[in-house]
Amino acid sequence: MNLKKTSYFSSLAFVGVVLVFAASSGSAQQTMQPKIKASSIQILMVGSNEVTLPLPFQLSLYENMIEQVEKTKKFEHVYRDGDHAAMDAPDLVILHSNVYGFKQGSEEKRQVLTVAGATQIKVHCQFTDKSGKSELEQDVTGNVRFLGGNLRATLDFGKKVAQVVVQNF
Amino acid sequence: MILRRALPILLAAGAVLIGVGPLASPSFAQDQGTSTVPGTKQVIGLAGMKHNATGTLTIANGNLEFTKGKKKADVPATSITEVLTGADTQRTIGGTIGTLTMFAPYGSGRFLSLFRTKIDTFSITYVDTAGGVHGAVFSMPEGTATPAKIALLAQGAKTSVPVEPGPTPPPSAPKPQGRKP
Repeated sequence: MNLKKTSYFSSLAFVGVVLVFAASSGSAQQTMQPKIKASSIQILMVGSNEVTLPLPFQLSLYENMIEQVEKTKKFEHVYRDGDHAAMDAPDLVILHSNVYGFKQGSEEKRQVLTVAGATQIKVHCQFTDKSGKSELEQDVTGNVRFLGGNLRATLDFGKKVAQVVVQNF
Repeated sequence: MILRRALPILLAAGAVLIGVGPLASPSFAQDQGTSTVPGTKQVIGLAGMKHNATGTLTIANGNLEFTKGKKKADVPATSITEVLTGADTQRTIGGTIGTLTMFAPYGSGRFLSLFRTKIDTFSITYVDTAGGVHGAVFSMPEGTATPAKIALLAQGAKTSVPVEPGPTPPPSAPKPQGRKP
């Protein structure tokens, strides 16, 4: 009986040690990743070469992205597409984004059926320097599954881009 | 005596005015190149305005102006590079009350969400003084977006999709010019 208890506790302790080790190595990997240095960012208008994206969605993606990146306070300046002052900014990164997947759901279906009518926007985001050299590339998806209008997916996308910025800058 | 004679005429005029009243759109005023649309929702994009703020959109004096209470946002029409309109629907009972109805018993909230109002969407892109591109999205009562677009174009805004003119009567057959032999 005593032997059984001992083996049980020792196995538990072993699992605990493994978990602690895995967690510490994971966090070490995260901290090891060097952050990109940039004092300013220019966010370009969202492109949609592969899919047809309605203008309200395109503008809402762009505006939400700017608003959410500004909220992170990671950059001294957040420049818009076309801003003349951006090219004089030191340490500028440019955020290019292209929509490659778009499924316009229905708010009515979401509210009536719950499981149907989700809106999803898949965007490929690329951060480059002034010369066009890629610093970071990532796919980001904006969703609205339950509450809110279809444009809420663009807010979700903006928040996820802000998360990418916080993790990498 | 004169009053007695005038009374039926006055009553008839009143009846005519009451009858014509509903035919005129109560929430929309349009003159040559100007337009006022109350009950417009600024979904996103105007500087200094909160998302989903409901106010009045006015297009006049070379400007697009959105007013909500004391707050105002102006965009010069000549800085607008794109104007597009569209159609959508929204819940008749919206906002917080609309969200709370989701918790109503026996699925009545879901039933209420079937009642929807048609709306127009109105999207613009414009350029600020520094050259930065902005986008703004509005939703407004059905049937008001196209006249607003026409007014905005008349004030100097640009678009890639011009407004199609209304249906024109088919051209009548040309009359023979010369005399019949």
